[in-house]
Amino acid sequence: MAMIELSHIAHTYEPTAVTPAYALEKLNLVWNDGGTYALLGPSGCGKTTMLNIISGLVRPSQGRVLFDHVDFTDFPTPKRNIAQVFQFPVVYTLMSVEDNLAFPLICRHVPKAERQRRVREVAELLNLTDKLSKPALKLAADEKQLISLGRGLVRNDVTALLMDEPLTVIDPQMKFEIRRKLKKINELYALTMVYVTHDQTEAMTFADTIVVMNEGKVVQIGTPQDLYNRPQTTYVGYFVGSPAMNFIKCTIDDGKLQIAGGAIPVPPGLSIPAGTENLQLGIRPSNVKLGTSRCEQSLRGTVQRVQEFGNYRVVTVAVKDELLRLKLAPGAEIPALDTWVVLPEDRICLYADDELLAQK
Amino acid sequence: MMRTTYLLLKYTAILIWSSFVVLPFLWALTTSFKTAHGITSGATYIPWLQYEPSLEGWKVLVRTGGAGINIVQPYISSMVVTVGASLISLALGTLAAYGLSRFTYRLGFIKNSDIRFFFISQRIMPPIVLAIPFFLMLQYFGLLDSIIGLIIVYIALLLPIATWVMVDFFNNILREIDEMATIDGCNPIGAFFRVILPNSLPGIVVAGLFCLIFGWNDFFFAFILTFTKTQLLPVAVVALNSSVTPWWSLSASALVSVAPLVIIAFVVERFLSSGNMAGAIR
Repeated sequence: MAMIELSHIAHTYEPTAVTPAYALEKLNLVWNDGGTYALLGPSGCGKTTMLNIISGLVRPSQGRVLFDHVDFTDFPTPKRNIAQVFQFPVVYTLMSVEDNLAFPLICRHVPKAERQRRVREVAELLNLTDKLSKPALKLAADEKQLISLGRGLVRNDVTALLMDEPLTVIDPQMKFEIRRKLKKINELYALTMVYVTHDQTEAMTFADTIVVMNEGKVVQIGTPQDLYNRPQTTYVGYFVGSPAMNFIKCTIDDGKLQIAGGAIPVPPGLSIPAGTENLQLGIRPSNVKLGTSRCEQSLRGTVQRVQEFGNYRVVTVAVKDELLRLKLAPGAEIPALDTWVVLPEDRICLYADDELLAQK
Repeated sequence: MMRTTYLLLKYTAILIWSSFVVLPFLWALTTSFKTAHGITSGATYIPWLQYEPSLEGWKVLVRTGGAGINIVQPYISSMVVTVGASLISLALGTLAAYGLSRFTYRLGFIKNSDIRFFFISQRIMPPIVLAIPFFLMLQYFGLLDSIIGLIIVYIALLLPIATWVMVDFFNNILREIDEMATIDGCNPIGAFFRVILPNSLPGIVVAGLFCLIFGWNDFFFAFILTFTKTQLLPVAVVALNSSVTPWWSLSASALVSVAPLVIIAFVVERFLSSGNMAGAIR
């Protein structure tokens, strides 16, 4: 186990091109020992490339990969002691489940008795004990994926466990179960885990720290709460949380935020540099409230649509030309047409050119 | 009604095709047990009733001296040359194919696909183009009329086939399997031998079968590059012919020539189903 550091890493798949397109733009990132991380972003944003750089399947065009401050950039994959689980289960079809699990130990010349002991231990953890003698080919997709995972866990020299959208082929019911097992493994072995996904729920429920990526760049690194409450960019606001964050254009005039035909006070502690343009107010749908009367924080609007989601309802309110979405409890009372929407000042985030403005 | 018509058409088609394949063998089988008299006295099919069976056609093949040619030695030579060349071609071809499938080579403007085409182009050329260079080279090394010389020539002929078939096969094995094996601790060579090769058995069987068929059936180079010391089966069979065509011994030799390939086809048939690979991933 080790701390993994990506130092000035950048990667392009077309190194000979005159103006190469970068799959991963220059970044610095540290994965602490024993942490659970999620790499979250849309398809093609560079998540898998980053994972393959850590495991050594891809050599970065620039920068260095350090394990515990030691440069591993030029070390081949087998020497890195990384375990990786791919999007689709990869099992050695001609081998039994037991041989599949033992394979990494055979490659590392671990004595037979020790090998058997560890295979049984991992099989027990993953509920595969009764299937050990079966051919791997005969198993269902989720069990195959458990084997892929098991091959990573069976080694005791693993630096980190990297998972590349490992639950894509798994039934929803099993997804929950496997995620629970992963959490348990993390607690048991204090293994650094990096989990690539484009599903925010998976990322939020699995990881302590989430790295949001877009178009080859790291957009924000933070806890699930950070990402939810203080998205650093409007992109994160859109991408994380369901429904997405509300963004409304606004200007500053008379010391107040001029927004959708109304005005509310500027949140305290916010310093807005003079000449700031493209100002946007961001607020989570769950933080917007319905009011019965006018107040300092409220805007006048008209209820346009109510969508039921079972455990919550989403109300769309038109405030002049802008649409605001509110996430309310299922039984919440909703006025027929005209209403007041309240934007609590401690929940407001202000963005200039899509970047969050600092707040003291 | 539709179903009956469909079945009727299906079985008729199968019957016609089977007759097309099997009847020549039946003809050869009956002819091989006939004498000159039995052949010239019109079409006959049932032994003892229509013609008197004779083992003459078969005896000629193993007799030394007198009429006919002993095909035992050519048979053994053919087997040694074919099996030897096929095994070496398969070994080299599989390695070459893995390289072409998994690694990127670039030599000036030459890329993987060009190297691959270069391999196949060896088979597009008419064999006669190669005959003189092969002859001169073998002569230079003193390998004319020898088993070793023939094996070398046959490797040159079979290697493109083995490579071609195997590149296609490896391209269909997902790279994730190699990557997984390297993550599990294998170097690229280890990944190839421990994981990829066992999974490639159906491909190797197909490539091997092609090599055996092409090698075993080659007449052209076997004829040009041998004289007296070494003789391969196809040449020996042709040498059986004389001014009076000995249909009986020709038929018998045709049957023994084709026998090894038929046996191999039956043995390896179960490996040929592509389903063996299904489920390796996903």
